[in-house]
Amino acid sequence: MSVERPIFIPVILGTTRKGRASENVARFVHTELRKREGVETLLVDIREINLPTDDAGEAIKDSGFSATVSRADGLLIVTPEYNHGYPGMLKHLLDTNLKEYIHKAVGICAVSAGGFGGTRVIENLLPVMRELGLVTIFWDGNFSGAQKLFDKDGKLLDESYVKRLDKFLKELIWMSRVLRYGRENVSLD
Amino acid sequence: MATTREKMICPDCGVEMNHHADKVDYSAEPEDGAPVDPAFGGIVEEAHTCPSCGRTHTRRAEAEA
Repeated sequence: MSVERPIFIPVILGTTRKGRASENVARFVHTELRKREGVETLLVDIREINLPTDDAGEAIKDSGFSATVSRADGLLIVTPEYNHGYPGMLKHLLDTNLKEYIHKAVGICAVSAGGFGGTRVIENLLPVMRELGLVTIFWDGNFSGAQKLFDKDGKLLDESYVKRLDKFLKELIWMSRVLRYGRENVSLD
Repeated sequence: MATTREKMICPDCGVEMNHHADKVDYSAEPEDGAPVDPAFGGIVEEAHTCPSCGRTHTRRAEAEA
């Protein structure tokens, strides 16, 4: 198995809204992922990708985002739950690529103001991930009561999330490694 | 149904790439002249990844006669 090259797993902050609580979560998971040996990561803020809204799909591809996804072995998506759904801008961005996702791992960290940790947005995203060619892991990140999870400086106030995120990240890294091996060595023919 | 052709060669490393996936692209326009496979209703794209650098490239599958 090829282990020479580090696994690359970018974190995608999937909302552009002002006052977004998901930003603290994205920074937290990005920091935790950076601590892992043999893993490279990058925080991708979709607010910084100025996609047109009068067209869609590969016609409006952002070259920087496409290059990041092409290089990736896995994706970590941080998404808020808005009325049980995912942000339109996140879907708009994800739809701009296709072949870049094939047989790569994806884990979802969902963020909600209420007590269900964004479980409904995860369920809504799963079929989208599948159609894009991504392979979902069976651990999720569920961040409930997001406005009270961090202090004003963005410091996590509930340390139990560190332990739970550890399980999620281990699974995501394992799946990213296995799928890289598969992409490079296991033939469809 | 797609058929297998010669192995793709990585343009960066010069080594044989691994064909690990087929994906139907429904977005291609007919005037594109692409070989729409009637069995799938779209163009079958093959995904190939280089075992040396990890880069993935795609190419259109050839439709069976």
